[in-house]
Amino acid sequence: MAEAVAPQVFTRRASGLVRVMSPYSAFIYNILTMGVIFPWTYIWAPTAFQGSSLVLGIVFAFVFELPIALAYVWLATALPRSGGDYVFQSRVFGGGFGFTVVFAFFVVWILQWVALSGWLLASLGIAPTFLGLGATTDIGFFTDIGTWAASANGIIIISVANALIALVLLVTGFRNYVRFQYVMWYAILLSFGVVLLLFLTTNPTEAQASLNTFAGNVDGVSNFYGTAVAGAKDLGVSFAPPFWLWGTLLVAPIAWTSLQWATYSVEQGGEIKNAHVFRNQAFIMVGSLVATAGLLILLALAMQKGIGQEGILVASSGYYLGNGAATIGGGYMFPNLIAMGLTASPIIVAIIGVGFILNSFQIVCNCYIGTTRIMVAQGLDGLLPDWFARVNARFKTPVNAHIAYFLAALPVIWGFNKVASWTRWTLGVTFANGAVMVISALAAALLPYRAKKLYEASPGAKYRLGGGIPTVTVIGLLGFLLGGFMVAAFIFVPELGLAYSSDALPWAIVLGTAAFGLIVYFVMRSVRASKGVKVSYAFAEIPPE
Amino acid sequence: MPFWKKGTTGGEPTRIFYACDIHGSEPTYRKFLNAAKFYEVDALVFGGDLMGKLLIPIVRDAGGGYRARLQGKEHRIRSEEELKRFKQTLQTLGFYWQEMDPDEYRSYEGNQARIDELFDVLAKQRLAEWVALAEERLAGTSVRAYLCGGNDDTDVVLSALEEVPQDRVVSAENRAVPLDDEHVVVTVGYSTPTPWETPRERTDPEIAEVIEKVMAEVPDPSRAIFNFHCPPLDSSLDTCMKLDASVWPPTPVLVNKQPVYYGAGSQAVTEALERFQPTVGLHGHIHESRGMARFGRTPAYNPGSEYGEGVLRGLIVAIRDGEVLGHQFTSG
Repeated sequence: MAEAVAPQVFTRRASGLVRVMSPYSAFIYNILTMGVIFPWTYIWAPTAFQGSSLVLGIVFAFVFELPIALAYVWLATALPRSGGDYVFQSRVFGGGFGFTVVFAFFVVWILQWVALSGWLLASLGIAPTFLGLGATTDIGFFTDIGTWAASANGIIIISVANALIALVLLVTGFRNYVRFQYVMWYAILLSFGVVLLLFLTTNPTEAQASLNTFAGNVDGVSNFYGTAVAGAKDLGVSFAPPFWLWGTLLVAPIAWTSLQWATYSVEQGGEIKNAHVFRNQAFIMVGSLVATAGLLILLALAMQKGIGQEGILVASSGYYLGNGAATIGGGYMFPNLIAMGLTASPIIVAIIGVGFILNSFQIVCNCYIGTTRIMVAQGLDGLLPDWFARVNARFKTPVNAHIAYFLAALPVIWGFNKVASWTRWTLGVTFANGAVMVISALAAALLPYRAKKLYEASPGAKYRLGGGIPTVTVIGLLGFLLGGFMVAAFIFVPELGLAYSSDALPWAIVLGTAAFGLIVYFVMRSVRASKGVKVSYAFAEIPPE
Repeated sequence: MPFWKKGTTGGEPTRIFYACDIHGSEPTYRKFLNAAKFYEVDALVFGGDLMGKLLIPIVRDAGGGYRARLQGKEHRIRSEEELKRFKQTLQTLGFYWQEMDPDEYRSYEGNQARIDELFDVLAKQRLAEWVALAEERLAGTSVRAYLCGGNDDTDVVLSALEEVPQDRVVSAENRAVPLDDEHVVVTVGYSTPTPWETPRERTDPEIAEVIEKVMAEVPDPSRAIFNFHCPPLDSSLDTCMKLDASVWPPTPVLVNKQPVYYGAGSQAVTEALERFQPTVGLHGHIHESRGMARFGRTPAYNPGSEYGEGVLRGLIVAIRDGEVLGHQFTSG
């Protein structure tokens, strides 16, 4: 026998399959979806849980989300298809359950995010940018635009325009979005970097003086900061509370409202290049989680340095406690608005503003991208009418699903901005979205047992712990428990969601959306059965023998 | 026995399970055969591309054991048990393999004609085994499996469909064959030219000519099931990345660092669907373009393919009296 050789593969002329969005694009997509630039944590947590540590709370949220993101890596490589969470849950738990959960708690509830992204664009992007420009250039027209953008009618018009522009961008080709995403990415990074720098190069005393000048220019008030501190004290804010560990743990669910979206790229899994490769999905989801958590921590530390704990509590009191004296131009003191107040340069204001405007726009885009892919998958499985699943031959995009989602968002945009009780009615949004991710973590844990063949053919199947236990089962269960803690907090902790109001209506709305999903499922199942097909076939795994 | 005939007015609908592009994957093919019982259908229709794309030489080591390369990684196989598991992986992926000595391996290196011959031998052998397996699995049932090739299959390999004695398996290539009392399956396995220069590519006029010839045998086009491997052009069933064929292997065409998408289907197929208005159009070829489209009264489908993961993507269609009553995409 001759000496050993290192054999290569023999190939022949045969068609090849090439996939789409690069892992790097998907990584960026997740970071932007987490809204690194819109951290609610900073204006919600400090006064909701006085004595908590913002930085430590973000670290807890990262630790709690980590096993969930890892569990998604297994799911995404085993089922690299568009429709992500719906596909995972329907294949593991069955079609009725998977459809109901993901349709009700994602497709329906994410409509709230379409409205919210319009609000973010108007209130945190356009309004502060023009207010800032008005204050730094002394041009009243800018201030007028800023004030209009913060009004209810202004927000509605901006929200509809935001949704419409995103609709046009996305239906005319997904690659248009991917291309524009790079513009958003670099602009947002620049904006974020500038905000950080402004906080890091000032101190609380200087910051208070700058904010007084800024608010004076915008609202014509004097001693803005001192009034805001007094207002916060009147509302019960303690500026030197002792450290509170439980409160810090409860900051985690708030920070999780950002970090939980680290896995959102799975909804377009069928469009990501080499989506079945383990390290790619780890980079896309775990990598984006690490990067975003790092940026959020950095911003918290920078704020601490720039405006101090007192400044952070004052800003938070404007949002969470309704301290009217701690708002500027009618806007909450999000980090970007504070940063604008720290500079006298209209160029810096514009850079910050553009970043926030673009991230607001990205949020509405990701609402469309994720939910339309879910609707297409559900349409292909026969659980929504075929119309939703149709891909336009000219644009190669699910135009019908996009249009349906835009139309469904219009009344939500109106209600969000015009109905005073809307926010109270929709307290379930944090619970609903979080529940989908936690149930998917459980789906990952059960994947080796409920979809055995599929799991065995997946790249994650080789990872096992002692006793032959699949690693994903342990990680998925851990994610389910830690995520379950945060979802439970959204239900039971008054500061975090459903328990905020003693009213039964928010609960009824959550249950109503679930019931709506279940009704759609049973109606579609009956319709398909009358035409000679069973929808259950869509989820069943055929044994090869 | 049902009182009414299958597929006719007032009778029970005929239920078809359609799949394609399994590219040599053994578990996927076995699932295809089991689909008859599992989905309770009356016929199995396969839309082409039976052959695998890769052949893995498993080379004996002088000191015992074997070496092979798979998915960019060199594998050292030390025992017969490991060899068995390795072959099972190859079967799932749809690859062929051949055990050989280092000298034999070297005799193949750089000799594409010899490699192609070996592909044909192994693929034909596998297809003959598959036909026999279908006969065994479907024996005693009324279900028939309609098999044909796609653009990736060679004529040498497809000859196995004619040579192996058949009862339940119908060699459907370029023919119109009865499905039930009412409908016929019309099959054309060619595709338009691809950047990969595969064995069975034809120009649109050539495909139109084949369709015309086969349709001449069909008395009522509205009762035809079009089993055309190539999807209709620009229909959303044929969307894929544009590839630069001037390099090998072809690479994606990028504009501003973004891939360019286009329709890679056949104009002849589009025209046939529009003109003949058959009961349904069943298509494959573009694995990533799962979906449905409509041509007048005729719905057309592409179930896509995920054979590499051992997943059988398919489609159940219930037809009666020249119309689709309902459909269901499957992924099992």
